[in-house]
Amino acid sequence: MQTFSLEGKTVLVTGASSGIGRATAIQCAAAGARCILAARNADRLAETLASCGGAPHTVEQIDLADDAALASFIDRLPSLDGLVHCAGIGDNQKPLKFLSPQFVDLILSINLRAPILLLSCLAKQKKLNASASIVMISSIASFHPAPAHSIYAAAKGGLSAFVKGAAQDLAPRKIRVNSIAPGMVETPLIDFSALTREQRLADELRYPLKRYGQPSDIAPLAVYLLSDASSWMTGSQIVIDGGLTIGS
Amino acid sequence: MNGYNPFSLAGKTVLVTGASSGIGRATAIECSKMGATLVITGRNEERLAETFAQLEGSGHAQITADLTVQEDIERLVASSPQLNGLVLCAGRSILSPLPFCTREKLDSVFNINFFSPVEVMRQLVRGKKIEKQGSIVAIVSIGGTGKFTPGNAMYGSSKAALTSIVKYAATELAAKKIRVNAINPGMVETPLIRRGMVTDEQYAADMSRYPLKRYGRPEEVAYAAIYLLSDAAAWVTGTSLVIDGGVTI
Repeated sequence: MQTFSLEGKTVLVTGASSGIGRATAIQCAAAGARCILAARNADRLAETLASCGGAPHTVEQIDLADDAALASFIDRLPSLDGLVHCAGIGDNQKPLKFLSPQFVDLILSINLRAPILLLSCLAKQKKLNASASIVMISSIASFHPAPAHSIYAAAKGGLSAFVKGAAQDLAPRKIRVNSIAPGMVETPLIDFSALTREQRLADELRYPLKRYGQPSDIAPLAVYLLSDASSWMTGSQIVIDGGLTIGS
Repeated sequence: MNGYNPFSLAGKTVLVTGASSGIGRATAIECSKMGATLVITGRNEERLAETFAQLEGSGHAQITADLTVQEDIERLVASSPQLNGLVLCAGRSILSPLPFCTREKLDSVFNINFFSPVEVMRQLVRGKKIEKQGSIVAIVSIGGTGKFTPGNAMYGSSKAALTSIVKYAATELAAKKIRVNAINPGMVETPLIRRGMVTDEQYAADMSRYPLKRYGRPEEVAYAAIYLLSDAAAWVTGTSLVIDGGVTI
């Protein structure tokens, strides 16, 4: 039991204002971690903080795509034993021929460039304790993209590859870096309004376990990866998708 | 953790094969600490009893069986209670360069690493011994799936076959809400690897190739099995968990 606990660990959760980030923050707090909740939206961050039980957890309002704000944000942080990077945008269906430079920059900036610079700055500013655990939320899109999601796939594929490279670079300090690749998780990130109820049910039935994931399905996996129970795991990507991508 | 334990196995009955040593033993012991009721099996009665003595809690069972013998599998399945979890750990390794991978040696390796776990799983499913929401975990290896070391062809290919059938089983058993996943460990310190094939210097050199600079401990594989057996992994099926200190990056 003790091995799976996060007692005594300080964990930064990005994207903590909703979805996977919020569920992860709540479960990390329940597992004993002291959480720093980061996101853009202050009101929703406050809701997550309340769900975590308030102090000793804290909030940081930050736009991770804002280079100028990043260094001072990291300066304010205590030394970390864990990071779960959940911030991202996903509601971005666009067929290949409609990809504009602005759209490509936007998706790559938030889903790929931001986590790369975040981890790099954390390492540079010596905010990662030895044996810290880094968890990046990638996606099955990194190897199994849906139609009209090519740039999202490229960003997540890049993130999954970055995780392996970062795992190599940080291994000498026993810092572990892994990614989680979820299938469709019901979060505010996903705009289901384009689908009829029937279309949505039909889509869920494509999953062998016959349902989409919930944020609370992903959170315990992040807790496992943050805990000492996974102390020999680094550079791995864990697929959690109700069986959808078996064979891809 | 103030009562938060999504990884609890309380109320679950779990069968562990290969429980007389190594990963199987550690898995049985750690599962018992998480509240599971264990059914452990292995060939060596004495060592199985040693594992049994280390289980926490009560109500556990031990069944000595040689899973390469059909009658033993039938006896194991017949005497097994209803299960919520199955961890297939029994395995063996014979190192041999390709020209010496005779049919006889291949049969021996495939019998224990592939045919036995498949038959145990098949009979348990057919006999309806695995409950809905049950979880099956096969211990495979990075050998044969992500790492191809000279001399390890028989072991690696048998584990690759097992990895493959895990995915078929996940697809077919999803209808019964039974999840099936694999754990692919790198080199773990177990009696299996200390069979006198290499010198201490070679061991040290091999270990240094791992980014985390060490081999794994059996408990570290056991914890992954606990995650997959628990309700925390309710949306995980058909997946392989690579736990290898980063060696296959």
